[in-house]
Amino acid sequence: MRRLAALLLIGMVLAVASDGFLTAGNLFNLARQTSFLFIIASGATLVILAGGIDLSVGANLGLSAAVAATVIKATGSAALGILAAPAFGLLIGLINGCLVAVLRVPAFIATYGMLWVVQGLTYLYLPGGAIYGFPPEFRAIGTGSLLGLPVPVLVMGIFLAIGGLLLHATTFGQDIYAIGANPEASRLSGIPLRRRLVALYGVSGAMAGLAAVIYLARVNSAEAGIGEPLLLPAIAAVLVGGTSLMGGVGGVTGTLVGAAILTLLANGMNLLTIDAAWQPLATGVIVLLAVAVDMLSRRRLTVRSR
Amino acid sequence: MRPIVLLAAVLCCLAAAARADGPTIAVFTKDLTNPFYEAFRNGAEMAVKGAGGRAVQYAPNRPDNIAEQMNQVENAIAAHPDAMILVPVDVKALAPAINKVNAARIPLVNAAERAPAGEFVSYVGSDDFAMARDTATLLLKAIGGRGKVIILEGNRGSETNRQRMDGFREALKAYPDVALLAAQPANYQRLQALQVTENLLQAFAQVDGILAANDSMALGAIEALAGAKRKAAVIGINATPEGIGAIKQGSLLASGDFDGFKMGCVAAMAVLRHLQGQVVPKTVALPVTVVDKSNYQPWDRPAGDRTCPAWAEIVK
Repeated sequence: MRRLAALLLIGMVLAVASDGFLTAGNLFNLARQTSFLFIIASGATLVILAGGIDLSVGANLGLSAAVAATVIKATGSAALGILAAPAFGLLIGLINGCLVAVLRVPAFIATYGMLWVVQGLTYLYLPGGAIYGFPPEFRAIGTGSLLGLPVPVLVMGIFLAIGGLLLHATTFGQDIYAIGANPEASRLSGIPLRRRLVALYGVSGAMAGLAAVIYLARVNSAEAGIGEPLLLPAIAAVLVGGTSLMGGVGGVTGTLVGAAILTLLANGMNLLTIDAAWQPLATGVIVLLAVAVDMLSRRRLTVRSR
Repeated sequence: MRPIVLLAAVLCCLAAAARADGPTIAVFTKDLTNPFYEAFRNGAEMAVKGAGGRAVQYAPNRPDNIAEQMNQVENAIAAHPDAMILVPVDVKALAPAINKVNAARIPLVNAAERAPAGEFVSYVGSDDFAMARDTATLLLKAIGGRGKVIILEGNRGSETNRQRMDGFREALKAYPDVALLAAQPANYQRLQALQVTENLLQAFAQVDGILAANDSMALGAIEALAGAKRKAAVIGINATPEGIGAIKQGSLLASGDFDGFKMGCVAAMAVLRHLQGQVVPKTVALPVTVVDKSNYQPWDRPAGDRTCPAWAEIVK
């Protein structure tokens, strides 16, 4: 896992450059911030592994957050809100899955279309307004701790374990890699391609809905525009983590590393108070370097092993 | 063939329904997400409807998207409305679109973000610089004129953000005993502001004040303070309903009143007066108000209850 080396290297540089970096408080912040990005990106990882793409995760998060907010306000029940968002996200994901697997709409177009449908519904539902102020028992999911760890980090741990087991210890997981490597061959070998794809997009949608719960609990407010800035970082976390956009290669542990690298960069630039004008450039250069060095060393290795 | 005929019929019906008798005013705002522009659209709508006209709203689906707004302006020119109100997504990049409106001889009011070139009936806006300066000054006074502060910036490239940053820094100049620890971008986004503030609170053991370029970021910063069990005075800008709620409850010190509803009203009133042949000043600046615990009551009511101000109240 060479991307892990890149992560550790960035961490070491920051530890030397900033006194605030290696404090318990900062490490907890990093874990909490990474966990949110990981949770949205984890479902998208499975879709990308199977050779697809889910561009609707950000928009889905936005509308699922609005749905959960409405449910909590209407019923006063935190539990119903916590269930409503992943259920709604799942529904959107299943529609994506049907578009891709049954109607055979290319994944990029199906989920791009869904992005705008969902975003459009969110604008109509929350026109420039916000739903805010939730009960403390709900807020605890975003801000609380359990057994000394922030709740979002525990949620991340649970889903990291589920994702790892699913991919590496079940036939479902084997099927995902097989579909990503060659969908036609996988279908001929008896894998129920359609069912698998619908399920994968469903999982991606449900994870976006779960991320919406954490978002809402953390910031205490649902607004119409929250999804869009989250899409690219989520996809980037998957790809920086080593999952191939072509499918068949990668996994959720890689996505954790990818999410941690992106979070670490933002954290480091804040700690070093780098000027706003330089931050996008610095982020881009470091991401390119981290991935390019990895690719280069990987090629050397294959040449040598021949 | 059938679906196409059906589609054409639907479009014709929509077009027929869209016709009205009074003046038709095309209103261009920057996005569908910011409560400020929603309020702006409501204000413009109310003023135009009050004059028996019809407001046609345009806003990019991708927030603050330059290309989309350019296309929307070009498409609207083809429909030839009686007048237009434009809040440019980017004051420089929209210049070609503004030239086309001028060439089509459609009266144009510029609002919220001042375009450097083009022919306008009037510019209607807030003084973002003065608003940011006055709101920041209130905070600097409140922390006793000494201590350490951080700034949360909006989008780079946005003219309002540039003016607000200049206003914050101008206020800081008058307080040499206040140190600016950091100015970091959070792009007007709440989650980003929350995370940036979490990070900065780790880097700096003492933070007495946080100056945020909008209320969303201020509220994100307040969440970060609560999470870290730290205390600091926080100000925002826009006086959004949520911001007013936080002022009432005491977690937000103050917010600059960037009143979208009033601005939308006044922009529409300016263009309507122009269409009636009345003289309109080239610049209409809305009065600057800083909202805090002492004066928040008038803002603390539902948006549906609001009415447009009288022209004489604004232009004296």
